[in-house]
Amino acid sequence: MAEDREILREIWEGRLPVCFTLATEEVSTPIAPDPFYLMVPRLTYFPLVTDKVRRHFVRCVVPEKHDNEMWLEFERHPLKWHYPIGLLYDLFVSNSELPWQITVHFDKYPDNKILKCPSKDVVESHLMHSLKEADALKHKNHIMALMQERDHKQLWLGLLHDRFDQFWSANRKLMEHSAEDGFRYIPFRLYVPQLTSKPFVQYLIKPVENEKKLVVEDLLQRANLNFESKGPFQVVIHGIDIPLETPLQWISEHLSYPDNFLHLCIRYSQT
Amino acid sequence: MDNNPVNEALPDAASVEDNEQNVEMPSHTDESLPALPNSAPATPKADNKTPKITVVLCPVGGAPIMRQRKWEVDSTQTIGFIASFIRKKLTLQKSDSLFFYVNQSFAPSLDQTVQNLFDCFGSDGKLILAYCRTQAWG
Repeated sequence: MAEDREILREIWEGRLPVCFTLATEEVSTPIAPDPFYLMVPRLTYFPLVTDKVRRHFVRCVVPEKHDNEMWLEFERHPLKWHYPIGLLYDLFVSNSELPWQITVHFDKYPDNKILKCPSKDVVESHLMHSLKEADALKHKNHIMALMQERDHKQLWLGLLHDRFDQFWSANRKLMEHSAEDGFRYIPFRLYVPQLTSKPFVQYLIKPVENEKKLVVEDLLQRANLNFESKGPFQVVIHGIDIPLETPLQWISEHLSYPDNFLHLCIRYSQT
Repeated sequence: MDNNPVNEALPDAASVEDNEQNVEMPSHTDESLPALPNSAPATPKADNKTPKITVVLCPVGGAPIMRQRKWEVDSTQTIGFIASFIRKKLTLQKSDSLFFYVNQSFAPSLDQTVQNLFDCFGSDGKLILAYCRTQAWG
């Protein structure tokens, strides 16, 4: 168990270097502002780490737009703030280029493509409801419902302030399960933009069936998608290529994002 | 799932409709379940290729009711689509808040699809979505 706890910490400490640049058409000063570099935790959400980015760039856009909500773009994809940063990277950056080049906008918020995020409270609410959904799958929502408000706050503040111990003091309760059966269902989302028009697919899968431990390959089989049709592929989470024989219960306990979901991306090798 | 206590608080008309539907589900809704290509009379948006999912919209916390509770919705549609549909039906202002809950516990994200929610939280061939004007379950 000791070494497995190390894995939790390694995952928590995953960082991505990002280079933010203001969209050229929005620069209103004679000289364009310098790019802004930041190391960001993979597990968090952009609105929780980009206050400085906003302050750096907002003075270079026209005053009428100073109060606008900032949004981010990578290669014409508006980045959904309610996806964890690591997921966005695994989903969109195919050549593993670093630092990650992201364009900052204050104008023309694409609200038909991404949700609005007027404050950090919205992120907190999103995290809490994702945790409840995950808990509904794992434990019929019993644990989140019985948790005290204080524990909910530990989860949120732990993520907000990047405090591993604070987050896990509450999160370990959400990871409890009976030894032989594991969770009721595994909370996961599978991102396969190459094969489906849906942003992600989600369905019920148990960690153990007929006393057999199910693995990542079993999960893929039940998606009813022809993964091989586009050539060899990898299942990626936290930038890690996951072996298909990894047991679902283990991966759910150790590699879930703070919202308690496994966000699994399918990645095809570049041809 | 259908033992929603809220139903009792509804005006008679809605309760009657509700009872009717609970006893005998009209056959067209059965035919429209996701696995089948669908020949059901389409409601919010018609598209013969996309499978439909039966979504039951339950008002909670004093939210206004709608004459029709059961809708056939394209499985690829999102909660955001249902939200704007309800807003139109109830003529809500942009500034009015509207919340959705599944399982009486969590609020799905607006870009979540009806299909995913149905696959994980549907029961008896339908997905029950509670809606309200103020937060109901935290």
